[in-house]
Amino acid sequence: MWQRRAFLKAAGAGFAAGLLPRQVEALERSDLVFASSVQTAAGSYGAVLLGERGDVIASIDLPDRGHDITISREAGRGVVFARQPGTFAVVFDPQGRAAPVTLTSVEGRHFYGHGVFSPDGRLLYATESDFEAARGVVGIYDATDGYRRIGEFPTFGTGPHEMLLMPDGVTFVVANGGIETHPDFGRTELNLETMDPSVVFIDRRDGRLIGQLRLDAGLHQLSIRHMAIDGRGRVWFGCQYKGAPADKPQLVGYATMDGEIRLIELPPGTLADLRNYVGSVAVSADGVTVAVSSPEGDLLVAIDAEGKRPVLAETLRNGCGLAADGMGFVATSGNGEMIGMAGADRAAQKFDFLFDNHILRVG
Amino acid sequence: MRLLLLVLMMVFAGPALAQTATPSQVLDAAVNKVIRPAVAAFKTRASGLESAMGGLCAAPSEGALAIARQQFGLAAQAYGRIEFLRIGPLMEDNRADRLLFWPDRRGIGLRQVQAIIAEQDSGASEVTLLRQKSVAVQGFGALEYVLFGTDAEGLAAAGAEFRCRYGQAIAANISGIADQVAMGWYRYDGVASHLTRPVPDNADYRTETEALEALVGLVAHGIEGLRDTRINPFVAQGGEPAKPKQALFWRSGLTMAMIAADIEGMEALVAGSGMARAVGPDDAGLDNSIAFEFRNAHRAIGLVTLPVEQAVVDEKQAHALDYLIIVTQSLQTMIGEQLSAALELSVGFSSLDGD
Repeated sequence: MWQRRAFLKAAGAGFAAGLLPRQVEALERSDLVFASSVQTAAGSYGAVLLGERGDVIASIDLPDRGHDITISREAGRGVVFARQPGTFAVVFDPQGRAAPVTLTSVEGRHFYGHGVFSPDGRLLYATESDFEAARGVVGIYDATDGYRRIGEFPTFGTGPHEMLLMPDGVTFVVANGGIETHPDFGRTELNLETMDPSVVFIDRRDGRLIGQLRLDAGLHQLSIRHMAIDGRGRVWFGCQYKGAPADKPQLVGYATMDGEIRLIELPPGTLADLRNYVGSVAVSADGVTVAVSSPEGDLLVAIDAEGKRPVLAETLRNGCGLAADGMGFVATSGNGEMIGMAGADRAAQKFDFLFDNHILRVG
Repeated sequence: MRLLLLVLMMVFAGPALAQTATPSQVLDAAVNKVIRPAVAAFKTRASGLESAMGGLCAAPSEGALAIARQQFGLAAQAYGRIEFLRIGPLMEDNRADRLLFWPDRRGIGLRQVQAIIAEQDSGASEVTLLRQKSVAVQGFGALEYVLFGTDAEGLAAAGAEFRCRYGQAIAANISGIADQVAMGWYRYDGVASHLTRPVPDNADYRTETEALEALVGLVAHGIEGLRDTRINPFVAQGGEPAKPKQALFWRSGLTMAMIAADIEGMEALVAGSGMARAVGPDDAGLDNSIAFEFRNAHRAIGLVTLPVEQAVVDEKQAHALDYLIIVTQSLQTMIGEQLSAALELSVGFSSLDGD
């Protein structure tokens, strides 16, 4: 298991912070472990592993700001991806047996902050930008050979962001945000007038396009960016709107491999409070509740996936990270807070570091 | 006498140094003392540009062309002072891109503008039709090519009627958008009242903290955008040679003037609103530090006197541009991180770049 025992060994050379006796004690009480990129109080960047009570079990340093993390039990590794348009990814051993290894994006590509392992842990896939051609690609890395980059395939769109592996183990779903950037111009968005976001399903074995879904043409400035898969295999997504601020398009929807894509109707007040910005999406452990967050609106919303309606809204200043936690969710903020929501029995905690946008439930 | 002066200075300097601002005062001053006058000035300059283009097309001459070019510079710089105000009316209807589509990474706009002129595309010489076209052919970038690009001298005489009418349509479009931006900022129950009187029912700014975050974020992001799109792309860096034709307005020689205008606009918002004076005693020096760094930016810009293609290979002026990059990084840190922290704001740690 990736839980107590594994992390009891996490004080190895790879981690900046070894386990102190009180942490060992905390870990012995922990059933769940979470991972997140953070910014430290001193302004540097890293990633942390947290026990379910919020105890810092271990941490690694990062050369710059990290974003999402993916972990494979089969590979025995986790990977922190640099925030876009970053050029590094750090592979680490959650059990602390090996020092972290930093990967560098190849020439002409940068990372978008998200990626996944293959089910057997032998391959790592990352969303990347072929920025000269303004097209997204999935970079393929051989986890059995020092994470050597062995190929890529297109995402059939621009600005890919989160990618997930569907429950069938062979299909990727990728959110093409539709926004063109280029490292020559920092984070400047270069094509807001002509954006073309989409959700694509891709066969991971050969990169073949299985299906590409777009929202109505009038919503071409609605950037689809983050996703989570519910118990019925529907891909829930959250959007960020790049059109006029006075517009209030719906921001949350789902797509299926059968070719359905639709936005659900959030009530006007909830929608207004999301401020045209969804920063993270998660599904509860039982697969029936979807949570979305807006750090712009300081809002967390839990949605009944069957009824397709919100069942709870909660305020968390600068809140963005979401992960399943027992019956509900754990949520983290850019102000260093961690709270439970929608059924998670968890006392609010404040850390001396700031959480990046995503938190991953590891075990 | 000298002693008297010293005493007087101390009497007046004391309260001045201790002067602080409340969030409410900052928001009110930002809108009423800085933003509204700046958008009104842009409207006036854009109107002047439209008139000058009308005059040029009605009676082409060397003098009329010179006036049109001068008015282009004044209007562009007036826009430069407000272009970082990427909230409210500037963000509606693609107005920011319509006014200035930049960066144009693949030169799409340039090719389209050249095609319009070569083909005498009648759909571009009438403002209502022009608005239907790509944003890249209807703003300052396109008009710069019309007025300063290849064969632009022909505008001074008869025979360039189409090119002139196209330029006139662009100027009318710019002027129309400037009207809408100004009206948006003066409109009742618009962005100005939401910023100055945030209430929970507002869809945009519900609290003073959110409104302040928006203002501080405008400057932090504006500085970053200035560096990323207006300076970095054309200076020599990391072993790469300088690319002066990646500079905005290299044809008209307004590259540095536009950078200066951008800096002035943001500096005016910081100083005029007093946002860096709404801090606790521990951060009381921040306002001065930011002002000092803005002055450094102006000093660096002032050293770049040659056209950009010469400036980037002149040792002293290239060094000034490098220094300007450092200054913008420093300003971004001071405003986006230090000031933001001093005001207990969260200027986009999570949401800055849509991640």
